[in-house]
Amino acid sequence: MMEKMIFGRYIPGDSFVHQLDPRAKILFVFLFIAVVFIANNAVTYALLLAFTLLVIVLSKIRLYFLINGLKPVLILLIFTFLLHIFFTREGDVLLEIGFIEVYEEGLRQGIFISIRFLVLVFITSILTLTTSPISITDGTEVLLHPFKRLKLPVHELALMMSISLRFIPTLMDETGKILKAQTARGSDISSGPLKERLRAVTPLLIPLFVSAFKRAEDLATAMEVRGYRGGEGRTRYRQLEWAGRDTAVLLVLAVFAGLLWYFRT
Amino acid sequence: MTTTVKTERHSQTLKLVHIAMFSALMMIGANISSYLVIGGVPITLQTFFAILAGLLLGSRTGAAAMAFYAFIGLAGLPVFAQFSGGLDTLISPTFGFIVSFIILAYATGKIAERFPTVIGFVAAALVGLIINYGFGTNWMYAAYRFWFAAPEGFTYEMAWAWMAVPFPKDLILTVAAGIFGYRLKPIVSKYM
Repeated sequence: MMEKMIFGRYIPGDSFVHQLDPRAKILFVFLFIAVVFIANNAVTYALLLAFTLLVIVLSKIRLYFLINGLKPVLILLIFTFLLHIFFTREGDVLLEIGFIEVYEEGLRQGIFISIRFLVLVFITSILTLTTSPISITDGTEVLLHPFKRLKLPVHELALMMSISLRFIPTLMDETGKILKAQTARGSDISSGPLKERLRAVTPLLIPLFVSAFKRAEDLATAMEVRGYRGGEGRTRYRQLEWAGRDTAVLLVLAVFAGLLWYFRT
Repeated sequence: MTTTVKTERHSQTLKLVHIAMFSALMMIGANISSYLVIGGVPITLQTFFAILAGLLLGSRTGAAAMAFYAFIGLAGLPVFAQFSGGLDTLISPTFGFIVSFIILAYATGKIAERFPTVIGFVAAALVGLIINYGFGTNWMYAAYRFWFAAPEGFTYEMAWAWMAVPFPKDLILTVAAGIFGYRLKPIVSKYM
């Protein structure tokens, strides 16, 4: 679990998608979210599905990881599908069981919206599966650069990201330790009436917060001592490089959007 | 006890670290159910922690911490509930609740700064809960309408009926957050 925490959902690899510049991938995903809405009939939804499959193949991500990522939203997907099946009342009646009537249009809409949802989840998951959080931060930092004029603290964002990456495993450790320590002292969180259990949470959270604030103060002092003075004049260890393939990928997306537009009704 | 000279720069750096740290704490809050189970239901203390962000860090830093939490979650760190994360959360109907944390942290912070008493802190927490439910539920409804093109049968009332289930639990937790924040404030102030 610790490993999962540190790397996020990133799965290292050397596929075509992995090698793309994070900036290109982030732009791609944001544009894709808009492109999905062009589809409105069977042909366009089929194209959308085919295109997504192509991206999945190119990313060499095992389907298992994608399906796994789908789990939290599966209930939502089913719920949405059923919502359309039962509440849309257009077209011919396909099925009638008692008072439940399933209409043709409802089934069509249900399938279309499910595809839209599936495709969106897959493409956005692929971004986070093929790009490490640090690369995403670096990419976002550059993409957000124009907003620096609007006083958006772009450099600070990237730094804080590294700090919280460092803090997450530490705090998880800490929570586990405090929990054990309080259990050893007889604090019982897992049984008894709700009120009692809520009361038992207090001795868990107070030390957690206090130690977190103490650590924060220590870290800030340590940073000062090492000469941290904001983003000015900083040089970078990780450099981003925009290659021809990054431009190509965005062009392919533009062509695909044109294709969808051509076939939509 | 050491004496620290608190310079302008130091308080800037400290704020930065606080934001990063609170977003990590939020991750613990969102997934605390993997440590403890209350009444068989996995609970999330996200709202509880978001309120504390406002109470302890103050309106501006608290809101910044919550905005940052949303940001790292979207960037793919598994910091949201059930260790989820990634850009796909953006289209989840429950993303509105994550956005509401930003606003509620600011509001609770402002109220608590104005009225630094137990009553003030609890009232601030309750306002936070109202923002959380009001904003989150409306967003959820809008998301169903927009992303999933929900048909007419999915009514506004249905969205709210859904939210009535966790409400009693959240109400108790919110009052607890207010009292908790009041008790914690002088302790953590030593490190600010």
